[in-house]
Amino acid sequence: MPASAPIPARFRAVRAAFVPALLAVIVAACNGAATPRPTTPPDATGSLVPPSTATPAPSASASPSVAPAFPTTLNDDEGTAVLLKTEPHKIVSLTPATTEILFALGVGDRVVGKVEDFTPYPPAVTAIPDVAKFGSVDVEKIVALGADLVIAGGNSFNPPDKIAQLRKLGVAVLVEYAPNVAGVLKDIELTGAAVGRSAEAGDLSASMQAAFDQVSAAVAGLAKPRVFYELDATQKIYTAADQSFLAEMISLAGGTPITTGSTTNFEIPLEKLVTADPELILLGDAAYGTTAAAVKARNGWGGMTAVKSGAIVAVDDVVISRPGPRLVDGLRALALAIHPDAAIQPPSTPAPAASTPAASGSSAP
Amino acid sequence: MAATAADEAIPGRASRVAWRSGRARSRTATLAIAGVAALGLALVLGVGFGTVAISPVDTVGILVHRLFGIDLGGTWTAAADTIVWDLRLPRVLTAMTVGAGLAVAGATFQGLLRNPLADPYVLGTASGAALGAAIAVVIPIRATILGFGLIHGLAFVGALGAVFAVYRLSRINGLSPLTSLLLTGYAVGSLLAAGLAMAMYLSGAALRQIFAYLLGGFDTAGWTQLGATLPLIAIGSGLILLRARSLDGFLLGEEAAIHLGIDVRRERAILLGLASLVTAAAVAVSGLIGFVGLVVPHVVRLAVGPGARRVLPLAALGGAALMAFADLAARMLGEIPVGVVTAVIGAPFFLSLLRRTRTGYEL
Repeated sequence: MPASAPIPARFRAVRAAFVPALLAVIVAACNGAATPRPTTPPDATGSLVPPSTATPAPSASASPSVAPAFPTTLNDDEGTAVLLKTEPHKIVSLTPATTEILFALGVGDRVVGKVEDFTPYPPAVTAIPDVAKFGSVDVEKIVALGADLVIAGGNSFNPPDKIAQLRKLGVAVLVEYAPNVAGVLKDIELTGAAVGRSAEAGDLSASMQAAFDQVSAAVAGLAKPRVFYELDATQKIYTAADQSFLAEMISLAGGTPITTGSTTNFEIPLEKLVTADPELILLGDAAYGTTAAAVKARNGWGGMTAVKSGAIVAVDDVVISRPGPRLVDGLRALALAIHPDAAIQPPSTPAPAASTPAASGSSAP
Repeated sequence: MAATAADEAIPGRASRVAWRSGRARSRTATLAIAGVAALGLALVLGVGFGTVAISPVDTVGILVHRLFGIDLGGTWTAAADTIVWDLRLPRVLTAMTVGAGLAVAGATFQGLLRNPLADPYVLGTASGAALGAAIAVVIPIRATILGFGLIHGLAFVGALGAVFAVYRLSRINGLSPLTSLLLTGYAVGSLLAAGLAMAMYLSGAALRQIFAYLLGGFDTAGWTQLGATLPLIAIGSGLILLRARSLDGFLLGEEAAIHLGIDVRRERAILLGLASLVTAAAVAVSGLIGFVGLVVPHVVRLAVGPGARRVLPLAALGGAALMAFADLAARMLGEIPVGVVTAVIGAPFFLSLLRRTRTGYEL
């Protein structure tokens, strides 16, 4: 029956391509910080000024938040000029990182809707209704909430057609995407400018920069071990791409990241990983049940230096890869995992899920 | 009735058709009324229900106010107005338009190819549209015209391009036209599926957009998209209906069609083109939604017989109603893929219909 054949062929191909690739996307895009955005449109205004400096007086000294400058037009991370007529009081946050930033800036009580978050932080966010899930946004709910500002994730974190639909309905949508650590600080300041908390955002960004500098100073003179950060290895092995957010974090924490060799691909072939010979394996997937013992038992992994020496450490992937205020904790945790003896302040929030598998596995070198 | 005349051209079938024609006519009327009623119900429910509760009084008030400018005295928020008028109504109407288009295209492809498994996607439309959408996501260009992103545009182009390629390629070999079309469609479809797999592999974080397109849905439907899709589907379906006689001729076989005075080659090309145009418009706005285009025409034929003049309009009604209800269910269940719902609603119904049928149905 020739006519029946195209249908299974279509879905077979789709499934074959989809299953492994989706895993990569889930692990890579889950926290909103992935590859450098390859499709960044040119700045619509033609301005050479980066978006954050184009905002009205982002620095702490110039603009106290008691006198917010609204109306204002902000350039978001996709170069779209977003007009905010008044200071937003009904904010919808479509990325977990944005939710954390808004709470850190003291405007958590203005968040009327948020994206579903499996690791909610701070605990108060659980009371906020979900208006979006992984890959979908409920426009109807956002309209019903009367949102006056929606902050969405770029690089396809939230569906672009939903963002377009919201804008068409007259809702101000600010798209944020941080390709690197500096971008996170910039997005915090952009968020602050959008909600009338520029001064607080400036302070937060400055204190985070100071904490980053403190970690850098502590690991400055130390050897930089080759670090493999495992995002997922259930089917294929996923780790940091070249120049990715994660690779930068590992470098800042005093390690040499083993990357995939491409800026857009998060998959690394096992042969390449064996050749790269990690001295330390960090289990970013520990929260999903991966243990050091399981890694040791994997076929072909036994020859790696890290496996032989037992240098396999569970880490809390959420604080390391979520581009929000807790990135300081993430960098400290990462640096302590790589350099346990370095003079680094321990993370202020304990790593919840990751600590348990670590105990059952092997300890750091 | 041209349809009946064509049926009687085959000895043996004629008696059955004669036996059924009286009943078929009354059934046609019954089904048409039921279809229109179902459409009306789907419209009311589709506009009345969603993730946000809006009272029926407000819903009616908003619709009357917007449609006729009459103020019934109700008070509702601006948000409710936006939800009913800008989100739900265009969504329901788009689902109906796409459902109708897919059912008409499916009926056309089944008749034209004389193959019960033919659906609107059989000649590579689905693979072509999917590859077009995937390319739109992967390439670093963003453009929006009339509320359509590049993803819709390239899906439309891909669907039409695939069918055109299949049609041209099928004519340069020695097989019979039907076999050649189906096999060429399969080959081209496989090639395009490989391209799709590669594009998905390369797409990185944009994979979710491609996947969402492959699943299909109406959750971003708006007035402008409906305004661009509706004319294409309505005109395409109307032109197909005008050629119902040719379609009946094809159902009897090429030979019989020639004897009926049908210019087989020309008519086949025109009908293929129209059905593909309708399909391309549907998949461009909604993504790939299976089952409606395959099953609705069969259900209609089981009820009223094979005459295209009856089958095409009833299939359009049925497809529109099924799609609108499926979309409503998808919405109520938390934006699950509408293709899942069409299959879950339609497949058991179709199976029970097949079990009960005693007429020796064949296509």
